[in-house]
Amino acid sequence: MKSVPVLLGLLVIIAGGSWWALRGAHTGWTKTSVAIEKIDEITEIPYVEYEKRLVPGIEFPVAFGGVGAALLALGWWRNCKRKA
Amino acid sequence: MKPIIITALATTLTLVSAFGHPKDFDFKDPKGVNNATFKLDAPLETITGSANGVSGILTVNAEDPEATKGKIIIDAKSLHVENPVMKEHLHGKEWIDSAAHGEISFTVTGLKNLKQSGNVVEATVEGDFLLKGVKKTISAPAKITLLPDKLADRTSGKMKGDLLVVRSTFTIKRSDFKINTEASTDKVADEIEISLAIAGAAPEK
Repeated sequence: MKSVPVLLGLLVIIAGGSWWALRGAHTGWTKTSVAIEKIDEITEIPYVEYEKRLVPGIEFPVAFGGVGAALLALGWWRNCKRKA
Repeated sequence: MKPIIITALATTLTLVSAFGHPKDFDFKDPKGVNNATFKLDAPLETITGSANGVSGILTVNAEDPEATKGKIIIDAKSLHVENPVMKEHLHGKEWIDSAAHGEISFTVTGLKNLKQSGNVVEATVEGDFLLKGVKKTISAPAKITLLPDKLADRTSGKMKGDLLVVRSTFTIKRSDFKINTEASTDKVADEIEISLAIAGAAPEK
């Protein structure tokens, strides 16, 4: 039982990091719409259409890392407390 | 000799009737293609976005293009950036304040430095740019292309007439228009590069 926070912390970091990487590893801010560039055939005007799609930004790995680190610290602190 | 004179006269009359009087080009685009994009390139962050709420009318006389007049309007509420928090800030009071200042416009007072090549005119457009309630006289380079009888192609034959395509890229200063002058220029550039690509239609009456 003593390693539950440590395991959870590792799980949050690995799963969260993998999810962010699989969704494009976007290092800018999170986007909830993505620009699709198009060109009008008659006027040759370039324009963008927005597709609603979540592209997780750098906030996500930072948040996952923070929560994971907090859980790891909690596990380490509990272990230290027991040993003492 | 007579048929040549008659043909030349007929051609001249056709051209004069087609382009010899001012035409109103309406830039309200039901297809949503007409757009303006903006870019703020600061050392720490680049912000890009677009707006497609374009409307307005330009009155163009092909025989006197210098006298081109009219107004292009962009609905400030149509400004879009991909990050939702940034978009909320952009429309807020400190930035664009789209609730109070819903209209961004460019009132064209004339064209200068014209260079014409066929149906394409490159010129300096002069006029008043209105943003967040602040009006400044600016001049911007523009490429204007007349596409005679192309409206039918764009409306699947429902309407006949001409199209006028205007492309322009120019720079304004955020500080000139009182757009969050407190914000650091390391994160949000003072210079805003605006690119306009719009097509107006003049249906046959």
